[in-house]
Amino acid sequence: MINPFPVLPEFEYIRPKTAEEAIQFLQSHPEQARPFLGGTDCLVALRNRRISPNFLVDLKYLDGFQDVIFHPHDGLTIAAAVSMNEMIASEPVKMTYPLIAAAAREVGGYQLRSRATLIGNICNASPCGDTIAPCLVYGGMLAALGPDGKRCIALKDFFLGPGKTILQPNEIVCSIRFPLPPAGSRGKYLSIGRNALGDLAIAAVTILAFPDASQPSGYCFRIALTAVAPTVIFAEEAQRLLSQTPLNEKTLEQAALLAGQCCSPIDDIRASAHYRREMVRVLTGRALQQVWNALQKDVQQEGGNG
Amino acid sequence: MPELDQISQGIGENVARVDVQEKASGAALFTDDIQFGSNLLHARIKRSPLPHAIIQSIDISQAERLPGVKAVVTGADFAGRIGLYLKDRHIFARDRVRFIGEPVAGVAAISEEIAEKALDLIRVEYEPLQPIFHPLDAIKPDAPLIHPDLGSYEVVNFIFPEPGTNISNHFKIRKGDVERAWAQCTAVVEREYYIPHIQHVPIETHVAVAQVSHLGKITLWSSSQSPFAQRDLIAKTLGFSPSDVRVISPYVGGGFGCKAGVTMEALPIVIAMKAKGFPVKLRLTREEEFYTNFVRQALVIRLKMGCDQAGNLLALENTMYWDGGASTEYGVNITRAGGYSSTGPYDVPNVKTDSYCVYTNNIIGGPYRGFGMSELHTGIEQCVDELADALGMDKVEFRLRNVVQGGDTLATGMTMHPTGIKECIQKVAAAVDWGKTSKSTEPYLKRGKGIAIMWKAPAMPPNPGSSATIKLNEDGTLLLGIGGQEIGQGTFTVMAQLAAATLGVPVKAVRIAKPVDTDYSPYEWQTVASRLTWSMGNAVLAAAQDARRQILAIVAEAWKEDVDDLDILDGVVISRKTEKEIKLKDFAVYGIPKENFEGWIGGPIFGRGKFMPTYVTGLDKETGQGKRAVVHYTTGAQAFEIEVDIRTGKLHVLRAAAAFDVGKAINPELVRAQMEGGLIQGLSSALFEQMIFKEGTMQNPNFVDYRIATTVDLPDEMMTFIVEVPQDDGPFGARGVGEHPMVPTVAGIANAIQDALGIRMQGPPFTAEKILLTLQSQEEKKG
Repeated sequence: MINPFPVLPEFEYIRPKTAEEAIQFLQSHPEQARPFLGGTDCLVALRNRRISPNFLVDLKYLDGFQDVIFHPHDGLTIAAAVSMNEMIASEPVKMTYPLIAAAAREVGGYQLRSRATLIGNICNASPCGDTIAPCLVYGGMLAALGPDGKRCIALKDFFLGPGKTILQPNEIVCSIRFPLPPAGSRGKYLSIGRNALGDLAIAAVTILAFPDASQPSGYCFRIALTAVAPTVIFAEEAQRLLSQTPLNEKTLEQAALLAGQCCSPIDDIRASAHYRREMVRVLTGRALQQVWNALQKDVQQEGGNG
Repeated sequence: MPELDQISQGIGENVARVDVQEKASGAALFTDDIQFGSNLLHARIKRSPLPHAIIQSIDISQAERLPGVKAVVTGADFAGRIGLYLKDRHIFARDRVRFIGEPVAGVAAISEEIAEKALDLIRVEYEPLQPIFHPLDAIKPDAPLIHPDLGSYEVVNFIFPEPGTNISNHFKIRKGDVERAWAQCTAVVEREYYIPHIQHVPIETHVAVAQVSHLGKITLWSSSQSPFAQRDLIAKTLGFSPSDVRVISPYVGGGFGCKAGVTMEALPIVIAMKAKGFPVKLRLTREEEFYTNFVRQALVIRLKMGCDQAGNLLALENTMYWDGGASTEYGVNITRAGGYSSTGPYDVPNVKTDSYCVYTNNIIGGPYRGFGMSELHTGIEQCVDELADALGMDKVEFRLRNVVQGGDTLATGMTMHPTGIKECIQKVAAAVDWGKTSKSTEPYLKRGKGIAIMWKAPAMPPNPGSSATIKLNEDGTLLLGIGGQEIGQGTFTVMAQLAAATLGVPVKAVRIAKPVDTDYSPYEWQTVASRLTWSMGNAVLAAAQDARRQILAIVAEAWKEDVDDLDILDGVVISRKTEKEIKLKDFAVYGIPKENFEGWIGGPIFGRGKFMPTYVTGLDKETGQGKRAVVHYTTGAQAFEIEVDIRTGKLHVLRAAAAFDVGKAINPELVRAQMEGGLIQGLSSALFEQMIFKEGTMQNPNFVDYRIATTVDLPDEMMTFIVEVPQDDGPFGARGVGEHPMVPTVAGIANAIQDALGIRMQGPPFTAEKILLTLQSQEEKKG
């Protein structure tokens, strides 16, 4: 990058009235049109000439794209254009899906979060996208709309690689839906950056755990790792160990070790692969300890109440 | 003249900043805010993609034909070289390019988009040359020469280039006999440190607008610390008379040294010379700010220090290789400052110093808050810690034993003036409970304490001048004219306080004439070197005294009294003898009528003052010896208590203490703000900041990957202490403190890390990853 561009390249701004109109426009302008939400990734990519669409199709003003809907039985739906700040402030997100709020707070700074969106963060498909892991452990389902109508995509099946997803160029994501977290679930989000706030994650660990009588250990753990593989991944071996082995300090430590081993981080300007792997182990260990403490406390309290 | 205590009203008080309302409300004017209408042209710069190459050809014909393009300029248009101390830089590269980002051609067009398109149409052919990216490679005998014509460059008489090499300045000190001294030392420590490039990162990137009239007069609006130096340098380089160049500088959105001298400001001027009558604006992107402007140059410093059994320093050998970059026009004087201050604030009888300014094909090094002192002290203060350790002596005690005191003969032969550095050391040590250990809450959190001290002199030519004017208004307020810049440090407020106290008016009656305008403002060399409070302050004091004399003479004549019986209090002239009084606003411009309509006394009052140090001497080229190397030294100390997470390497500062001897704090709150701000900037460079280069290309020219400290990275507690040992020629005894508070920070943190973990890091920044890796490699060694 020798000569940075001071200005954005020319493009046409399209503001469709309905989602169908947006799809139609995307379909009739293959490889020229790009959907657009808060723009916090898109405008940077445009300025750096990493993308060069002729049209930006703004989805922010579509009906229903601003909604956060919570049903006590069905769970939560966050529409595509809800800003991260709105989402962080919403009661059901804070109370029932706190990991999403915790991770969203790590995205950029406050001003940026007034524009950035959860769906945008997901569709950008960066391996270090802060909010992706919490959405994975809560079992997020994307509602996508295309020329052939709606389809549901489990978030865990959505990502193909850095910046790559199974979404078709003529499809848009309208919302993400989360079932209610399993009863008694406890979670923790821990991330590490170069300085204390606003940095891209060097590594992050998201854990959701809950009592599950069908598992030998009596618990089920979901552990998602950020910025240490081409996509956000589940630490499957660690999850398996924790569900199948009686839980104690040693199991937790071993699970942390497995998490460190299962990732495939790279060396880059932000951190070495070695350091990332170490941080996965340390952060997983700490998050597991805290989650385990909370789960044990729940058991004691139940016992006390009974 | 009145007694000092009578006129010192408001001195030492925390007067609110005079610019606070303007800045908080957004009303303050910055260069980019100035509107030029539809005639404005936008400039963009074609830059070298290669670190070192011969320019074989430049074809601008297509760019010139692009509709909307008004001017295309290359190095062929201007032969002269520019430079503050050493004229070694072309405004646009001519025969060769020497760093990635060097300007090769410039375009002015009716929009930035068109200017940008025109750049793509400019064809440049290069013949690559072997680049050099490290100063130790550049000094090798067979290294290619980056400036083969160094011997023919114009240079000031206190800078010593070595033609035929890549060394553009070699500063030496030879004092005593170090070779003989080593034999007498009980402990000797030899160390090498590397301090990487960092950037100033002002919030406001460089911006300048130039207009060249058909009559050949140049006007430049720029965000600048140095309107007068820019006028002089640009005029001389382009063959103009300085008075035909006018520089107008509104508020500056952060400088830290990067807006001193001339960096990009000459570019829009030479483009505007080909588009006469049009204002031409050049506004740097953040990336350009990072890799095309002045940066803080990197340093390799080799130290050998020794002391006797009692802990008395006996000898110091200091060899510094400064990575000056592709041009060292300003940087040469940083290496000189590093040289004459090379002992740090210590009394050392035997000194051998070699400070080399070395050309490389890296980005150009320039002034940065501290002017070489942060880099120097990062080495000295770690080495001193290690020497104390080698002797088994407490590090505070070791410093107290060896620090420089008034009356000491410095390494340059200058006699040191009284200084409060011992008090500074004692204050910060006490603040962090030096000598006591505190316990962390978790076994994996390790605590440690570190101390570092510093000195710094204003680094300038021997004769930088200041001047000031005071004009009384009809309403009794006064308009204070100064040429120094408000770059966030609060100088407008301090100058208002000095003028108000000296004249006898409330601070709110002082207006600062702005923007600084070389046609209307009195001369000021540059807003650098922490020199304004002292130097410009003296000029303001003199101007206020001049106005005061005029006022009292008028009233004395009207009242037929002796001036010695008169005083000015709160904007009212009073007689201590007759108890008569008259408000300034009742006669400031129109004078006082004589009795019985017999005429008038007085007339508009206009005070003027100047200051220039006249006593700084040259230093011998071979020995660095001279009667007085500098005007004075500000000294200080910092101490830290840190906590490190040994599993992640994360470092957190629990307590930080800073104490500086400012002579006299004109505005204590502003002094404390400098102490805190400097400490934070120092902490940022200690933990996060580094320009990362790969074959000369910066890899992190953005805030995603060039991390700077934010509020949440600050110490839990910051304690500041003002020490006041008066400066004999400072206004009310004041000395500057703008740069000093970031000087000892890196070393202080490094020393605290050593105390906490028993490790010495290779060099800053001490990132979490580096700390963890250093710990792990140490474990392996033990393992």
